[in-house]
Amino acid sequence: MHKIGIVFRSEFLRRVRSKWFVITTVLGPVLLFAMMAIPPVIGIMASGTDEQSVALVDETNVLAAPLAARSDPRLTFVPVDASAYALRAEVEAGRYDGFLVLPDGILEGGVNARYYSVEGGGFTMESRLERALNEVVIDHRLGALNVSPDVRAIMASSTGVRLLKITEEGTAADSAAASSLLGMMMGFVIYIAMIIYGAYVMHGVMEEKQSRVLEIVVSSVRPFELLMGKVLGIGAMGLLQMGVWAAFLLILTLSAGGIAAIFLDPSDFNLPEGVSGEDLAAAADIGLPQMAPELFVWFLLFFLGGYLLYSSLFAAIGSTVEHQQDAQGLMFPVTILIIIPMLFISVIVESPNSTLAIALSMIPFFSPVLMVLRIAVTEVPFWQALLAFLLLCATFVGAIWICGRIYRVGILMYGKKPTLRDLARWLRYQ
Amino acid sequence: MGRLSVENVVKRYGRVLAVDHVSFRAEPGRILGLLGPNGAGKTSTIRMITHITAPDEGRVLYEDQPVGRWSQERLGYLPEERGLYKKLTVGDQLLYLAALKGVPGDVARGRLEAWLTRFDALDWFDRKTGELSKGMQQKVQFIATLLHDPTLLILDEPFGGLDPINAELLREVIWELRDEGRCILFASHRMEQVELLCDDICLISNGRIVLNGTLRDVKRRFGTNTVIIEFDGDARFAAELQSRGSVKVISRSLHRVELRLLDGAAARDVLAYALANVNDLYRFELTEPPLSEIFVESVRAAGHGAPQSIDDGAVRP
Repeated sequence: MHKIGIVFRSEFLRRVRSKWFVITTVLGPVLLFAMMAIPPVIGIMASGTDEQSVALVDETNVLAAPLAARSDPRLTFVPVDASAYALRAEVEAGRYDGFLVLPDGILEGGVNARYYSVEGGGFTMESRLERALNEVVIDHRLGALNVSPDVRAIMASSTGVRLLKITEEGTAADSAAASSLLGMMMGFVIYIAMIIYGAYVMHGVMEEKQSRVLEIVVSSVRPFELLMGKVLGIGAMGLLQMGVWAAFLLILTLSAGGIAAIFLDPSDFNLPEGVSGEDLAAAADIGLPQMAPELFVWFLLFFLGGYLLYSSLFAAIGSTVEHQQDAQGLMFPVTILIIIPMLFISVIVESPNSTLAIALSMIPFFSPVLMVLRIAVTEVPFWQALLAFLLLCATFVGAIWICGRIYRVGILMYGKKPTLRDLARWLRYQ
Repeated sequence: MGRLSVENVVKRYGRVLAVDHVSFRAEPGRILGLLGPNGAGKTSTIRMITHITAPDEGRVLYEDQPVGRWSQERLGYLPEERGLYKKLTVGDQLLYLAALKGVPGDVARGRLEAWLTRFDALDWFDRKTGELSKGMQQKVQFIATLLHDPTLLILDEPFGGLDPINAELLREVIWELRDEGRCILFASHRMEQVELLCDDICLISNGRIVLNGTLRDVKRRFGTNTVIIEFDGDARFAAELQSRGSVKVISRSLHRVELRLLDGAAARDVLAYALANVNDLYRFELTEPPLSEIFVESVRAAGHGAPQSIDDGAVRP
């Protein structure tokens, strides 16, 4: 039995010292940071530093003045007395970023203004224009009805709702969007990990078989011990890699406030000036929301269970073929099993406690992704999570047994690709 | 150090009978040659000796005990199709393989350095095996077989890819191992190596033993019916003798022919004919047949036709 330890040590050290490992472990967080932070930041920056100058064609004859009087340096309204046709030329020539036509009916409501531009408005532009327009239109209509300033103050205020989750300790801040985002990210991480590390195990098995080093090794150690040592060694490497990434993400989260403050402007998010970096980051959805410790523990457990299950399947596949191409056919059903839970992510996020969600998250092949997702998004009863985990364990023990027997025969067979019936026969070989 | 005894062993793969009641013995301090055409069942038999698979009938005994995990640790197996972990260094690889055989780290290290020095390979310790040439890899693989001081050795084509100097070195090492009393099985198709090294031979064809005994006895059994002639001149006389039915040409080159006398032919008649048809004669020898010829004849006589690799698409370990 301790030979598993010898194989484990050798596999783990060999992988961890490889170039692949070092590169992906270091690059991974960099890529992750880039994927998560840079697009929104760039998007905001791009539209934020622009100063848009919009020509106004005011058919209402009352709105132009208040609009022009607004002191927003990023959005200036310039009332002009020209036809739409002439303005087109001006915009195309670049003298204005676009022109806004305010039809007469706006003041009664039910009619939209029209904004013409060459580049297209984009979300930020649309919301800024609407905000500005609504300000002046509502103000005017209220004034026309002789509404007092007190009423106007009431209309301008807004009441927010704070979401709180009921937990065992009492209440904790709840952020629906953030927790579903977290859940989806964790599900995604598990999904990617199963595929990458599973394929890694498969390649390791195929390399040993192709290079024929197996023939030497197999007279010194039982095939099952070789399989387990390899699976565990690569699993440990995977955990190490993810640990490094998690540490990196943690550092990133803690400094998210600082990063956000450098790049962003609070007014983009309807926040007052002088708001703290953390709040800014939270509003911009950069950085990770708080993660409960049990979520982390379950994540780890389901990751391990799912990894053991899928990697033994991949190892069995790798042991039956000699070339990459032959493996594709067998890989297909296994990969499908990993992908299916991803399709149900939005369903589960929407109603995590529905019967469908509960049922799906119990199925051993899906539970690594789906149960973790549910735990992140909602309070899952302990017995449910435990049951799902035990089912997963039972399944991977069974899978390891079956795949171990296939591995044992497959690694020494060369030549014709075995059919499924051959595989069934191998189960009974001594 | 004891003997290896294969007793009436049978092995089937599905419906294919790969090993059909095979029995032989390998004594300590002797080298047994395991011969046979490709697909004859040699590898299947070896896999049962090494306890990678188990026989369906019969048994394999080492030192009068059935083989098992314990014998694996006393056995050094160099398979014919062999490889190495390309990304591991020579040192790491050998230490890993030794650890798998249960050799403590420091002992392994000491033996490793001794063997590497012997094979003039000490500076390869830190090089990745994938970077070594084929001959160098062969030497590393051979060392891997010995690190745990095995008393039973199975060497399948150990000389592949070695130049004559290294082959000589390897032969010396194998003789030493034999003289130390170990039990050695040597499987090969290179008959000249087999003749040089083996004390006993055992020929397997189509899963059955076709020849078994000491090398000397086996050769003598086939009589002295081989003639070797070295000469200057035209080798056509050999073809003419063959067309007359006196001989069969075993091998032929510019200055040398090997002929097997067929029934009734007399060596002196062949000598007379050769003398009459060549310019000069340097050597005429009446001797036992070369092992390759014995091999071919035995396989054919056992009714299995000319040896050929069996390729019906079936998968046979």
